[in-house]
Amino acid sequence: MTTVLVVAVFVSAYVLIATERIHRTAAALAGAAGMVLLGVVDAKVAFFSERTGVDWNVIFLLLGMMVIVSVVKQTGVFDYLAIWAAKRTRGRPFPTMVLLVCITAVASALLDNVTTVLLIAPVTLLVCDRLAVSPIPFLIAEVLASNIGGTATLIGDPPNIIIASRAGLSFNDFLVNLAPIVILLVVVLIGLCWLMFRSELRYDPKRVAALMALDERDVIRDRGLLKRSGVVLGAVLVGFFAHSALGIEPSMVALLGAGALVALSGLEPKEFLEEVEWSTLVFFMGLFVMVGALVEVGAMDRLGESVTQAVGDHYLVAASVLLGGSAVLSGIVDNIPYVATMAPLVQDLVAAGKGAPQAKALWWALALGADLGGNATAVGASANVVVLGIAARNGHPISFWRFTKYGLVVAAVTIAVSWVYLWLRYYAFA
Amino acid sequence: MSARIMAEPFPIVTPGTDAMDAARAMGSGRLPGLIVCTDDGRPYTVLPGSQVLRFLIPAYVQDNPGLAGALDEQASDEIVRKLEHSTVGDLLPARQDDDELPLIDGDATALEVAAVMATMHSPLVAVVVDGRVVGAITVSRLLDYLLPSATPR
Repeated sequence: MTTVLVVAVFVSAYVLIATERIHRTAAALAGAAGMVLLGVVDAKVAFFSERTGVDWNVIFLLLGMMVIVSVVKQTGVFDYLAIWAAKRTRGRPFPTMVLLVCITAVASALLDNVTTVLLIAPVTLLVCDRLAVSPIPFLIAEVLASNIGGTATLIGDPPNIIIASRAGLSFNDFLVNLAPIVILLVVVLIGLCWLMFRSELRYDPKRVAALMALDERDVIRDRGLLKRSGVVLGAVLVGFFAHSALGIEPSMVALLGAGALVALSGLEPKEFLEEVEWSTLVFFMGLFVMVGALVEVGAMDRLGESVTQAVGDHYLVAASVLLGGSAVLSGIVDNIPYVATMAPLVQDLVAAGKGAPQAKALWWALALGADLGGNATAVGASANVVVLGIAARNGHPISFWRFTKYGLVVAAVTIAVSWVYLWLRYYAFA
Repeated sequence: MSARIMAEPFPIVTPGTDAMDAARAMGSGRLPGLIVCTDDGRPYTVLPGSQVLRFLIPAYVQDNPGLAGALDEQASDEIVRKLEHSTVGDLLPARQDDDELPLIDGDATALEVAAVMATMHSPLVAVVVDGRVVGAITVSRLLDYLLPSATPR
């Protein structure tokens, strides 16, 4: 009976999160409270159980990266890069778009997607304003690039952080397995941008002077802080590359980096905590308690057994279903709760495979599906919603269907290419 | 002293007034804002100078003020030209409820005037008597009245 009640509470909270009838954090907290009231979760389980409690590695990795972003944002380095890139192309729209897509994809691999688009969108609007071209194709291309770029690393997208923590995967595991396909997908995206937007990209030589008059050096607000941030960010990246060898969790690397930046920046708490999304962190905590309760009552184990039996050793079929299903679901609902729920299930499947690469590839199928699926619709990823808001506020509204028209094409093509990659790398030639 | 006595004559514009003319009036008269009345003379709202700037400055620069540093004089000329084909109505934010407008009755005290300015973040309030605007009180006028004169040393 308790299991039925736990599942009912979980499904109810999930429906509230998916439909956004109430704020997702409130829904997750209500779900967690329900699990506590049902007696499935107590303080020991919620706070100290590695298997079914709050995953503090995820929470503190997010917190550390948010503090790092808060400090780096103050330097103006992204504005510098975007203006520099546009000037390098002498204002030719498509090459400018290509460089902005590349900058966004790389930045997204290192920062979270929402932060990346928040940093790149205003300067994109400035560049387009100077060139007198519509910023809409640029903004859409950038948000698509941010969702693709974020797939490349452990820290690029919150679902990857959850997957890494649950699967025990390192930063380098993500780099080796996902970065190659993400580089290919960025090239594919650039090709798709040419096909989708070329008719809207008009070059006006008379406007080039207006662009070239922009002085990118003036957007660097604090050169000293830029240098210090660069050094610390470099050290953090080295820490991520070496965390397995050093025996340090990525969360510790991020927290050490955040602490060093705070100490070296001399910024006030209000400034270095500016990008910390407390509601997102609390949302994660509630979510972990909800999913942990499902594990506690054995619901996930039973589901895992059934799925494991059904899959048998047909891992390619499982990877295909996981990739496609995750993409479809992530295009409709938030991919964070989806991945948090699926992670224990995939964990069972991978464990049943006894470490076979074909079984381990299921994690990559889940990451690719959940991350890339966010491109499918205007509400598929938080970054999409944020960019649509910025565009509207600047007098360039992008309708749900206009975004979705392009997003669906990009999501479908990138998922198809990813399937071929998974098949070739982990099944055909494994 | 009542608001009616503190009130000074103040330029009044309508939502249809040319935005450039209104902004010029604010600039040349060193005014913190303008009173906006409907065509039949009823008080409509107050247009503070900061709202004119919000209209002029692109939202992306307001989101990221650091970008203003990259723009040159020519760009600022282009930005100001946004006013050329606009009216005061275009500059105004969405219409607020009447009780959220910086309007005050002629019998209000200086502290009531100050309270309206403080709560509405408005640099001036329009003084209304019998449904008509009889003038305005600026922050400087109010402070001049409220603060004691400096003692000669």
